[in-house]
Parts: sequence; C-alpha cells; structure tokens
Amino acid sequence: MDELLHVGRSIPRKDGPIKATGRAKYTVDVALPGMLAGKVLRSPHPHARIVSIDTGKAARLPGVRAVVTAEDSLKIKHGFVETPRYPADQYPIAVDRVRHVGEDIAGVAAIDEETAEEALSLIEVEYELLPAVFDPEEAMRPDAPEIHPNNPKVDEPYRNIGGKTATSWGDTERAFAESYLVREDKFYCQMRAHGYMEPQATVAHFDYSGKLNVWTSSMGVFLKRAKLAKTLGIPHSSVRVLKTYVGGAFGGKIDLFHHEYIASLLSMKCHLPVKIVYSREEVFKAARPAQPLIVRIKTGVAKDGEILGQEIEAINDSGAYHGSGVVVIFLAWGFAMAPYRAPNLKYEGYSVYTNNLVRAPQRGHGAPKMRFAVESQFDMIAEELGMDPVEFRLRNVRKPGDILPNGDSVKKFGLSECIERVAERTDFRNRHEAGKRERETGATVKRGIGIGTTAYFGGSLIYPNSSSAIVKLNDDGSVSLLTGALDIGQGCETILCQIAAEELRMPVEEVQIYAADTETTPVDIGSWISGLTYVTGNAVKKAAGQAMEKLLAAAARELDADVEDLVARDKQIFVGHSPERKISYARAVAASIARDRGDSIIGEGHFRTMKDVPTHPSLASTKGRWTENYSSYAQVAEVEVDTETGAVKIVKVTTAHDCGFPVNPALVEGQIDGQVSMGQGHILSEELRVENGCVINPSFLEYKIPCSLEMVETDYIDVITEEYKRGHHYNTKEVGEGYVSGTVASVANAVFNATGVRMKKTPINPYDMLAELKRIRKEVS
Amino acid sequence: MKKPGKRLISLQINGMEYEVAVRSDRTLLELLREDLMLTGTKEGCDDGSCGSCTVLLDGSPVRSCLLLAVEAENREVTTIEGLAENEKLHPIQQAFVDHGAIQCGYCSPGMILTAKALLDENPAPSEQDILHAISGNFCRCTGYNKIVTAIRAASRNGKGGD
Ligand code: FES
Ligand code: FES
Repeated sequence: MDELLHVGRSIPRKDGPIKATGRAKYTVDVALPGMLAGKVLRSPHPHARIVSIDTGKAARLPGVRAVVTAEDSLKIKHGFVETPRYPADQYPIAVDRVRHVGEDIAGVAAIDEETAEEALSLIEVEYELLPAVFDPEEAMRPDAPEIHPNNPKVDEPYRNIGGKTATSWGDTERAFAESYLVREDKFYCQMRAHGYMEPQATVAHFDYSGKLNVWTSSMGVFLKRAKLAKTLGIPHSSVRVLKTYVGGAFGGKIDLFHHEYIASLLSMKCHLPVKIVYSREEVFKAARPAQPLIVRIKTGVAKDGEILGQEIEAINDSGAYHGSGVVVIFLAWGFAMAPYRAPNLKYEGYSVYTNNLVRAPQRGHGAPKMRFAVESQFDMIAEELGMDPVEFRLRNVRKPGDILPNGDSVKKFGLSECIERVAERTDFRNRHEAGKRERETGATVKRGIGIGTTAYFGGSLIYPNSSSAIVKLNDDGSVSLLTGALDIGQGCETILCQIAAEELRMPVEEVQIYAADTETTPVDIGSWISGLTYVTGNAVKKAAGQAMEKLLAAAARELDADVEDLVARDKQIFVGHSPERKISYARAVAASIARDRGDSIIGEGHFRTMKDVPTHPSLASTKGRWTENYSSYAQVAEVEVDTETGAVKIVKVTTAHDCGFPVNPALVEGQIDGQVSMGQGHILSEELRVENGCVINPSFLEYKIPCSLEMVETDYIDVITEEYKRGHHYNTKEVGEGYVSGTVASVANAVFNATGVRMKKTPINPYDMLAELKRIRKEVS
Repeated sequence: MKKPGKRLISLQINGMEYEVAVRSDRTLLELLREDLMLTGTKEGCDDGSCGSCTVLLDGSPVRSCLLLAVEAENREVTTIEGLAENEKLHPIQQAFVDHGAIQCGYCSPGMILTAKALLDENPAPSEQDILHAISGNFCRCTGYNKIVTAIRAASRNGKGGD
C-alpha cells in the first residue's frame, strides 16, 4: 500500500493565518449597507399570561424601522426534537404565555442600538402572573403548577414530565439479592454556561429578490435553514445560511434560537439587513445554558468486584420547553451502559418542565454528569471491597466485539487498553495507595490521584442524517472542495482538506475549501453529535476518490497505459515501471475535457452512518441502533487539596484515548486540552446561580471559567484501533466531547483519594470542601 | 435621549495617522470596530473581564472596551491588523499557527497582542511569566497549554525573537 502522505499528520490548521491576523469574519463582524440594530424584548417573569402588548409608542419612535410580535408571525411551533411523542412545543416568539425569564416577546429594528434599546422600553406589556416552579423534583409532584396544560402527557398523572426514557434487561431484583455488596447513591450536577467567547449573533437580510440571507454564529447551517424555513413558512430555497467563522459553540449554538427568527422577521418586514448581537449579560441570562442532571444509582457487585446489577434514575430539569432535555435522558442511559458490562440493568430518565431557561446540549451532553455519578460510585465500591479502582474497572470493562443491548457492536473498543496504559504511565496503583496514606498525615496540602473513564458515540441519525461533498479539479490541477461542514474551531476544514489531498496524492495547500453555504455547498450533518470526521470525512474521501479515478482514467488513455500501473504524486501521474512516461494533473484535466465531450473532472461523495438503519433510536425505549463507532478513554487526574482553604488544584490530567484513527493528531490534542479545561470548570468552579428563574451571576466576573493561572498540565497516550486505507471508508471515532467526563470523574475521585471527602455534587467549591473536611474530622475524633 | 456631542481627535493606529470625529461616550473598541471597520479586535464581554478586546496603547495592553476613544487621543494604538508585515505573519502569529494555539480564534487577536507586549518587555519569560501575562485573557477552547507553548516558541527561550 502507498504510504500515507497527509492523514495521520499534525499539519497546522488551514485557517490559522486568517484567524491570527484578525481577518477571519465572524458573525459579529458582518456589516452590510443600511444595516439596522435589532433588539429583543424579554420576559421579566418566570411564568405569566400575556394579557396585551402595545408596540405603538415604540414603532413611532424616530429611527425605528420595524417592530414585531407574535402577531407578525405564523405562530408555528418548533422543537429540538419533533416526533409524535414529543411534538414541537415552543413558539419562536411568545404567543400568549411566557414560561421562563428571558423568553422572547417582541423584536425591534432601529438605526442604532441605543434607539432600539429605547424602543424596547416603550413597548407596554400587561402580564397576569402565574404560579411557577423551579425545582425539577418539585415539578414532578402531581400538584405542581402545570407549565404546558395543552401538551400531550408522557407520564400521567405527572403534569410536568415532558419526557421519559425507560429500559431494562435481566432481573435487577435478583441481581441485588445475589450481590455481596449493594450501594445506592445520589449525585447532582449543576447548571453551567457554555462560555463561548463569541456571543450569540445573527445578521438577517431579506433582499428584494425575496431571499432571506442569514449569517449566524452556529454549529451547522443546514439545520438552521430547515428551522427558519419551517417557522417562517417559506421554502428552503428562499433561505440561504452563509458561512461565518464561529467563536466557539460547545453545544450551545445548535437548534433554532429565537433571535435568529426575530432578526429574520424584522428584515422581512423592512427589507433591510438586521443584526442582533447579545450582550454577555444577555448570553448568561437568556441564551440556553447546559443541562443539569440528578442521578440516583444503585449497584450490586459480587465479592470479586463483578457488577451484577444496576438501577439508574436520571432527572433532568429541561426548563420551560423540551429543548434537548428529552435527548439528554436518552443519552445519559447510553453513557451509563456503553463502557462497562451490567448484565441486569433498569434505567429510567425523566425530563421535567420547570420555569427555568430552556437548555441546550453542552459538550458531552449528559456524559460528564452520568460518568461523574457512575465513576464516583465505582470508586466507593472498590474502596469498600478493598480493591484497586483500576482492577475494579478492568474487571467490568467491555471487550472488543461486545454487542450492546441495543444491537450496536463496540467493535475494536480500546477502553481496557486505555485503562491499562494510563495506569502504567501515571504509576496509578502505587500513587493511589500513597494518596490513601495522605488522608492520615497532618499535611495541609494533600495530594491524590483518581481515574475516570468514558465511551462516546460517533455520529447518529439526526437531521440531516448524511453528508455529501464535491471535489472539483481546476485547470491547473489544483482542487476545490465543496462541503457543507462548518468549522466551529475544532478544525474540520483542515482535516477534510487532508483527506482530499490524501486521496488525490497532492499537497494540502493546493486544496481550497468552500464550506457551509446552504446555497452552494452540499448538505452536511453539522458540527455536533460527534460524527463529522467520520461522516463528512468519508463523504470527502469518496468524492476525492471518484475524482482521482476519473483523473487516472484520463491519464491512462493519454499515456497508453493501464490504470493499475499508474502512480500519482505531486500533481503528476507516472507509469510505475517507466516513470519517464508521465502527465501532469493539469494536462490530464485538459485531456479529459478534450476527449470526453467536455467532461471536466468532478467527484461526488455521500456518506451516512448506519446506512441500513432507517432512523434514530427510540428516545422512549432506547430500542434501535445508536451509532457505529464507540470511542473510549481513560483519564487520570492528580490533584492537590488545601485543607485550610478548601481549594482544589488540578495539577495534571493524563488521557489515554481511542479515537480510532487520528486524522490530525495535533488537533486531537487540542480537543483534549480544551476538554480538560472545560471539565476543570465543571468540577471546580462553574455554576449558574438562579433565583426565581433568573440567573444572578451573569458575567465572567461571577461565573468563573478557568484562566491561565489554573492551567492544567496535560499528557496524552494514543491507543490506535483503526486504520486509514484506500478504497474503504475509515472508522474514526468521537474526539471532541467525551473527555470532559473523564476529567470531571477523575478529579472527584482524586479528591477522595487525598482527603477521604466524597463529593456527590458539582462543582466542588472550597466552602463545601471545608465543611466536609470538618465533618470527617469530627467523625474521626 | 440627548446623545453627547462628537469630538475631533488625532491618533495613530497601526502606524497610520487618523483624524476622527467621535462621540465622547464611545469606547475605543467601538471606534475601531464600528467606525473604522477594524474588526480584528473582538468583543467578548463589554465589562473588562474577558480580554478579547485587548489592543496595545503605546505598546502596553489595554482593554479597548474599558477605554474611551477620546482617551487614545495623540497616542499610538496597535491592533491585530497591524502586526503582520504585508503577507508575512509576525513571529508570534506564526508561532500561534504552528503550535495549535488557535482553535475558534476569537480570543487570538487579544491573546497575541498581550503576548507581544510581554515579549517586547521580557524577551525570555518563564512559564510563570507567560501564565501571568495572559491571565486576563480568557480562552475557552485550548485550555491555554498550546498558547503557552506558542509564546515560549516565539520567545528568545524558544529561539524565536531576536
Ligand atoms: S470585551 Fe473587553 S474585556 Fe471583554
Ligand atoms: S481559541 Fe476559542 S476562545 Fe481561544
């Protein structure tokens, strides 16, 4: 086989120079002639009936060009999920009720931001306040205030249970009866913000040809187009969503956001471009934060540590609408069952409506929370059994080829190798014993070590389900790659170019990429569900492969040789056994055009994961295939706990990862580093605090994301389980989401290792830490 | 609502003389981004907490969202657009590209300018010096590791610099 030229290599990202010089255009940078500033009027109440809205004064304010309310809209609902069980439940602009603080009520477009602000203050809204509920467990009570009286009920008589996932196998009762040890614990994860540095931003321009052009900070253009077209009641062909660079998303920019709808509606009303950019305060208070989760787990094990049975209940506070709540309770099940065997399992997940903000997915979408719970309990069980945490995991880990209860195969699953190797690299067993001894010493700063692991899915079937790509050879032999993929910082444009260059045996620099324009690039699954490198990557591989076949056929004819005898390199095609017979790509393209009735050389490729599976798995029952490729990783965290201040410092995180085949190892490292940092924020400092449904710490001064002074040293171990071969599709696995989980779990376990304090709630703040240390000291004395 | 009047000020931006009429309540960030279309400077928070809007004022890093445009009168402003010479990236920019210090890139302009101010002042900084210098610039994507690597590579320690 030819050696690999580009894939598997750490080339710098293609968009590096344009970003380093400040020339990359983000949505916040889009400026069009005549552009207006748009602003959104939001509900100050968590639950209220809208009695009346009067926009008269606002509309008459000089400088105001358009005002919209629900009366200007078609009142078409949408939802993150839209299925018969979970129909769309949210108007893009409130119709007669608001169900959370910050819900969008009206929009204004004016000549500048100040005028738009002033206009907002002139809109008169009369509300009739309704009882509200904020705690999901309270909202689950049959007598709680009902948030969606007219929605179909998922779980009678509970009025606010918006979603339920339930599944089981085996007999957990019997398993617990036969167990040597049974533990039951409950864990809480907080509500977090995504903390993308570019705020939510959209520019909409409905031009005189009747086309709505939209630039928006997102995670994929095709989903935005579909949702805008649906809610605005116009054809897909009338909406064009164009590429801008994206200043971070982390899950928080999927789905339709109402400012996107409102900017569009305003522009359709006045035919001028309208730009809406959130203030940072607005991002914290009104954009969708991430999913909080409560997890109760009961686990029974045999004396040798084998897991015999597990019962898990997950409760999600979905906020005022479904958002991704009905998905996270499905995913939480997947993240519970994928990495380790549980022969008997019962799972119930509830997504509960409250009068809080609607949620979006966040990197890991349930995995950090579920793994925090499961892995914390693993260590508690191992401790009680007198077993090493590594041994406990190796005892139960899934093996390559295991078939999961949903019919998925974990294929060449590398988790046991990840665990072994990370333990070896960090001298885990010895240092874990040393950590236990720290608990006994009088040292003020105690050092501990902990492990956390995860498995993660790599793409699933969600609209638009597949990706296509087009590869065009230009007259000079260079290449243009057309893809609908949107690079949100992870570097997908770079890896797609590497793949195209690999198949075409040419320099990466000569592949030009045109991406993420619904009008001119083919459909793409988007930068979420962790399937882009797999799905879009394989589409590009096929497109480039097809272009290469055409090029070789043209060259074979010109050189009077067999295609099998040809070798391509550096934009030249040679006859292998007589290299003096050669032709440049440029001449082969020209020959194709001259001889084949004008055929220029274009390749197309399409790829869909699980191609024989009709649709996504059931969110209600978990039945059906979920994904084709399970990544896995084991992470070890080393921490220092200051027992005087309660502060926890993460010194180092070592990650052993099986992402299948790293197309660009440096970009993989970047993903790991970023996730270690996000995991650090999750476990130590980040929490949105809410009072009566209103976020009360809406700035980076009060919502603490990690800064450089807290930088965690990182180390990586590649466990490579797949290959890149010509003529086949390749199996890459997820790389951008799941590491968060291992970090969160391993830090919690390391804190326990050092101090004996078991935290069942994140974040671990110094205040709680001190209280727990004190409690333990009392117990001992 | 009465808007404050405009003032005519002179300042130097990226080596060029500008004379602009600017409202006295406008920030330097607004002047750069909205009036002069120098959109390389980014806004991430508007309250001085994120560092995305960092530019150099007479060589020192400042948060342009916290500075009124009129305060830059007769001073020298360097933005990210002023760093590369023709098409050649500044060595710090090149190091950021080469070492994977850029992901989404939103923090990069502010981060690179902060790094420039550090290296201009201290061509051979320790890791601690680097971490302190960029501690007011948030990056949500990279965990800072590769940013520190890049700055070190561009420093005299990394045999970058002169
Ligand atoms: S925009 Fe100035 S510090 Fe954030
Ligand atoms: S690269 Fe995205 S915030 Fe730093």
